[in-house]
Amino acid sequence: MNEFVERQMKLTWRPPKKSYDVVIVGAGGHGLATAYYLATRHRITNVAVFERGYIGGGNSGRNTTIIRANYGIPAAVRFYQRSVDLYRGLEQETDRWLMHQQKGILWMAHSEAAVRTERMRAKLNTEFGAQTQFIGPRQVQELCPQLDMSGGGRWPVLGASYHPQGATARHDRVVWALAEGAMERGAHVHQNTPVEGLILDGERVAGVRTAAGDVAAGAVVSAVGGHVSRIAAMAGLRLPIRTHRLQAFVTNHYRQQFGPIVASSELFFYASQTARGEMLLGAEIDPQPSFSYRSSHDFVQDVCRRALCLLPFMGNLRVLRQWTGVCDMSPDYSPIMGRTGVDGFYLTTGWGTWGFKAIPAGGEQMAELIATGEVPELIAPFGLDRFARDRTMADRGSAGTH
Amino acid sequence: MATFLVDGQRVETRAGDNLLVAMLRTGIHPTGGGCLCMGGDCPNCLVTVDGVAYTRSCQVPARDGMVVQRDHLGGEEPALLPDEPGSPLRGIALHAGEDAGAPSVQRDAASRASAKGPAPVQHVHCDTVVIGQGDSGREAAREAKEVGLNVVTLDARDGQHVTGVYPGPLVVASDQAGHVLHVHPRREIVVATGAAEIQPVVPGSDLEGLVTARGATELVAAGIDLGRAVAVGERPAGLPPDSLVAHFPVGEGGWELVRFEGDGRIEAVVLRRHGDADAAEERIECDTAVVSLGRSPRNALARMASDLPVRIVGGAAMEPELPACPPEGTVCPCSGVTVADLDGVWERGFHEMELLKRATLAGTGTCQGGVCLPYLRSFLLERGGRLQPAFTARPLNRQLTVRELAAGAHTAVTARSPLHDEHLSLGARMDRAGGWWRPWTYGRKDDEYRSARERVSLGDVSSLGKTAISGPDAEAFLERIVPTRVATIRPGRCRYVLMLDERGYLLDDGILCREVSAGAGSGELLDDGMLCREADKGTGDRFFLTSTSGGSGFFELWLRDWAEAFGCDVRILNQTASLAAINVTGPEAARLLARAGARELPAFGRHRRVHVAGVDCRALRLSFTGELSYELHHPAADARRLWRRLLAAGGGFNVQPHGLETLLRLRLDKGHIVIGQDTDYDSTPRRLAHEWAVNLDKGDFVGRQAVLRTNRQPLDKRLATLRVNDPPAPDAGGPSAEGAAIHDEQGYAGYVTSDAGTAAGGGTPMLGWLYLDPEGNLPREVTVDGRPARRVDGPTYDPEGERARIAVDTASESPENVRDFPAVQPAATDLAGEGPSGPPRLRRLEATRVSATPAALDALVAEPPWPAGALAFRTAPDELLVTATPDFEVAGDPHAIVERETAFSYVWLDEATAKRFLDRECEWRRPEARPALAQGEVAGIPAKLWFEAGRALILTPAPFAAAFQRRLAGSLGETGEATP
Repeated sequence: MNEFVERQMKLTWRPPKKSYDVVIVGAGGHGLATAYYLATRHRITNVAVFERGYIGGGNSGRNTTIIRANYGIPAAVRFYQRSVDLYRGLEQETDRWLMHQQKGILWMAHSEAAVRTERMRAKLNTEFGAQTQFIGPRQVQELCPQLDMSGGGRWPVLGASYHPQGATARHDRVVWALAEGAMERGAHVHQNTPVEGLILDGERVAGVRTAAGDVAAGAVVSAVGGHVSRIAAMAGLRLPIRTHRLQAFVTNHYRQQFGPIVASSELFFYASQTARGEMLLGAEIDPQPSFSYRSSHDFVQDVCRRALCLLPFMGNLRVLRQWTGVCDMSPDYSPIMGRTGVDGFYLTTGWGTWGFKAIPAGGEQMAELIATGEVPELIAPFGLDRFARDRTMADRGSAGTH
Repeated sequence: MATFLVDGQRVETRAGDNLLVAMLRTGIHPTGGGCLCMGGDCPNCLVTVDGVAYTRSCQVPARDGMVVQRDHLGGEEPALLPDEPGSPLRGIALHAGEDAGAPSVQRDAASRASAKGPAPVQHVHCDTVVIGQGDSGREAAREAKEVGLNVVTLDARDGQHVTGVYPGPLVVASDQAGHVLHVHPRREIVVATGAAEIQPVVPGSDLEGLVTARGATELVAAGIDLGRAVAVGERPAGLPPDSLVAHFPVGEGGWELVRFEGDGRIEAVVLRRHGDADAAEERIECDTAVVSLGRSPRNALARMASDLPVRIVGGAAMEPELPACPPEGTVCPCSGVTVADLDGVWERGFHEMELLKRATLAGTGTCQGGVCLPYLRSFLLERGGRLQPAFTARPLNRQLTVRELAAGAHTAVTARSPLHDEHLSLGARMDRAGGWWRPWTYGRKDDEYRSARERVSLGDVSSLGKTAISGPDAEAFLERIVPTRVATIRPGRCRYVLMLDERGYLLDDGILCREVSAGAGSGELLDDGMLCREADKGTGDRFFLTSTSGGSGFFELWLRDWAEAFGCDVRILNQTASLAAINVTGPEAARLLARAGARELPAFGRHRRVHVAGVDCRALRLSFTGELSYELHHPAADARRLWRRLLAAGGGFNVQPHGLETLLRLRLDKGHIVIGQDTDYDSTPRRLAHEWAVNLDKGDFVGRQAVLRTNRQPLDKRLATLRVNDPPAPDAGGPSAEGAAIHDEQGYAGYVTSDAGTAAGGGTPMLGWLYLDPEGNLPREVTVDGRPARRVDGPTYDPEGERARIAVDTASESPENVRDFPAVQPAATDLAGEGPSGPPRLRRLEATRVSATPAALDALVAEPPWPAGALAFRTAPDELLVTATPDFEVAGDPHAIVERETAFSYVWLDEATAKRFLDRECEWRRPEARPALAQGEVAGIPAKLWFEAGRALILTPAPFAAAFQRRLAGSLGETGEATP
């Protein structure tokens, strides 16, 4: 008996129609959330989501399931806090067990510069609605007794920012609940149906060419992860996006409870415990751009080494499984959402290493944009035109990891 | 004979037994039951060994002193007291550390002191690696050897469990010797891992007493009695016929397995005639069921490496057989997934293999689909009419521990200044900053501050990036690199410069000096730089450029990339580690230097070579602190001498060194920015209020187009200096306001990036981002954490900059205070005359580094001007390291840079020691020729290796020497990295 076997969700597949009000490309978290919020908030259900593989098979199923809002610039803190809040209500709203668990996240500092960064993070977060406080070593140890506070003698923990609303949820279940919620209200999801081109009506995008034929659409939304540059090129757009690998791994079951999510931006790793008791570790993106899903040994080797400095108990745990996702990185490490300058074509991309935590807010805001035609205030700073306007959303403090 | 413990019970067994056989021989069965495969394919023999949970007992030899728990999760076990009389442990040398079976967090905490670092690694280079040494594997290895290839074979029966095949290509495997093997094949990876036997998944398949045909054969061969054994499926070829009481073939014309019956242990097999659901069940009583339901290839290693040069042979290459999925039973024993679970998720719309896996978690446990995968495929085929491919094969195929996987890895090394030990002896608290250990404070930070402001203070700025640039195009090159007009920097002058990226954002800043001497490589000290202007003509220009500590490695690449892109004829020499730098700052700085023997000091905005305390220095006069300052750049080997003599000469001024914390406060008084602290990925010169450092009229430079473009956009925010009068509120969460929001009457107006947190009040300066209001104005009166603050237009301290620019007269220092020191005379290290002796210790190398055109270096090496016996290492086409003093010229290149080089440490190792060390710490293939130079990372640290017959020399940058020494000692010991 396995308590984690899915026993609630019901996915209903329907044949594609010739025309929809809205076509969304990519049935990952963001695409399905957009469909879900179009249906639940705006009663727009003549919607199709096209997926080249299976739902949630891209980065939505390859991330480390962390939810947090402790970012480094006001616009990002506000946006991700909205997502944190929506996640907190999502189980109740969908009546599905998403394994959402609030754990708190500790972001540790091993140098004075890092202490300063974490103090700054705490102040800025507090100002813009995310709860984060800077705490000293004693409190850090209380929250996470397994930490070696000396960092193996070399990386002492001088303090940490603590973000109690940091949480995790089962990534697949989030995807399925959103798919189910959209489907049961009439939206279509089509698996194994790649979008091969866009149908242009003059300057306007009027539909998509799919493996199952042409489909007309009032609006087309790209919620593609990994290969967004290619679909944008179909609309004549060149995106400031580079795609990089991001890897992670889990160990076997650890017999004790490991409470919070812990992260260290100087040792470049973070760790949390899954509902099954596995220790889940991640780190920064590969510096080399790539579309590969291949996992590498140097990644697991280096992360294991660094993690041992702070979590020596992990030495005897076996690593069970490695995996890799691909991240669309924008130049300023912030997402790109909204209009594109091409009529009828919308983008939600640049989800880098922070896509999972943004799923509900990203979907909610994109749905509002499509339904009302107005760019919601929350995502207005994240438009594609910000690069030309020199209004980048530079977030040095949050760049790089998760 | 081995003696070990299972759940506290002493077990004695025969040598050569694996752990599972040894346990079964004693009548101990792993928990959880299930069919034993004896091949590492199932999760049914898992135990905890020496504190390591999820260990496949069939794959581990039984060893003396093992501590085994049957609970494979590593659950609690009674406290072990080996010394008590009557304890089953008496006389056994236990393997387990204090961590074994520790039931609580507290025990974990207690064991930290003894926590082990990464396991040792062994790098093996070969042409071909063959994984698996069954018939097909042996054959593949033989064929490869016959054509002269260097072949490495790995086999699980020798304890070599392959965890993954990775890009590289790299094959990672455990090894019984306690190493982790990293095998680097150049040509091919042969996967000859054979096939696994398909496991039964009917009801009762989790009983004890089930074994595969292969397992049964091994157990009988080991002399273990199976009792009444019944074979189901193929007749096990390896079993003596008399060991079976019955045999039931399955499939067409035979039988169908229905279930196993028993209470914990098997009592009977239940079958019925194949293809007839109404046929009567037959119940056959037995003690053991030998199950042989078909074979499934062990091809995961090949599947995870599909884009690598992999060949799959033998049983591993077979087409998988698909057993019928039974109507009930446990399909995935790792995750406890039943056929009913599969049915449930199928009914709810999960029809893809990956969705079936994710919705049930089947295939995500230890055996990675070894049991369930054939059944998942047949299930989906039966339900959906479509044969779907296997789910993705991911590493790890065999699970190593975190400690084992970390083998060969090191954490990032932090560089040490040549003054590191001086700081420690002065009681400094060291802190990592920009990749270096820096003194944060010497414990008297107010005195450190006052010393600089009122008397004179020393600061170690050795971590600054330092680059020498020379060549016919040096000036033209730098014009395109920095936004200031380089042509107006006269010889002997220096200027603060920005460096922008292509988006017009600030990348770095530094000081650009134009040399006074054109005698590139002469090493000659000139008394008065200004007289040498004429000499520059015709030989081009030479510059010295500093950059911030954080990115000097990146910075060199950045400069070289642009030089290449612009096609500039320049020599670039990174001297970051070669030169130490001491900042002498404070009103008495010139007097201190005069007392230390400095005759001529540069005026503000100038630099010159000067002897201070006998040390050849480049003294550079600008000011980061706001006081009279001389930055003394000098050979790293002389840093301690200079530092100590300056401290001694400054006794009368009560000279104090200052740490980084004080430096950050001193510069904040002046409003000087710190890269990374006050800047972000959108920091244009205009936003930083540094337009004065950008000349848009001088021609193109990196970032100019972006600056022009962004200048056309309305300005949104600007870095501003704030003056705050009130001390912080007690509830502000600390003395520093960094990160605090700034408010004006309209609301949020920006945030603080720098605040020294002195809580001084009375005009405390801060830096912060301020947003312009809708009319385009910066707010003037604001609040920070509720404290009233006012934006000011210049620095809060000495706004006119008089203190930094003050005219000085060193001649006024009375002669009795002046002490003359003899000039340091370097003598090159006699490398060739030394050799390996005693325990390996790194020592500092005294040498010369040359940057010149490749042709000039070719000619130089062909007819060396240095004494015979000196060793010359061609470290790059345009770079040479030679163990001689820098008193020669490069005839073929008037722009050559020839500099004394003390930035390397070296050690000779004899051949055997070198091999032992490098097999562990050098991942890349080493040259076989002698002599040979090779360069790359060794023990996680950049190194140059020089191989001669019988010995090898290792050179590593001196800032990493302490770390290298530690790793060398750790690696040559039997443990991994030594802990301090």
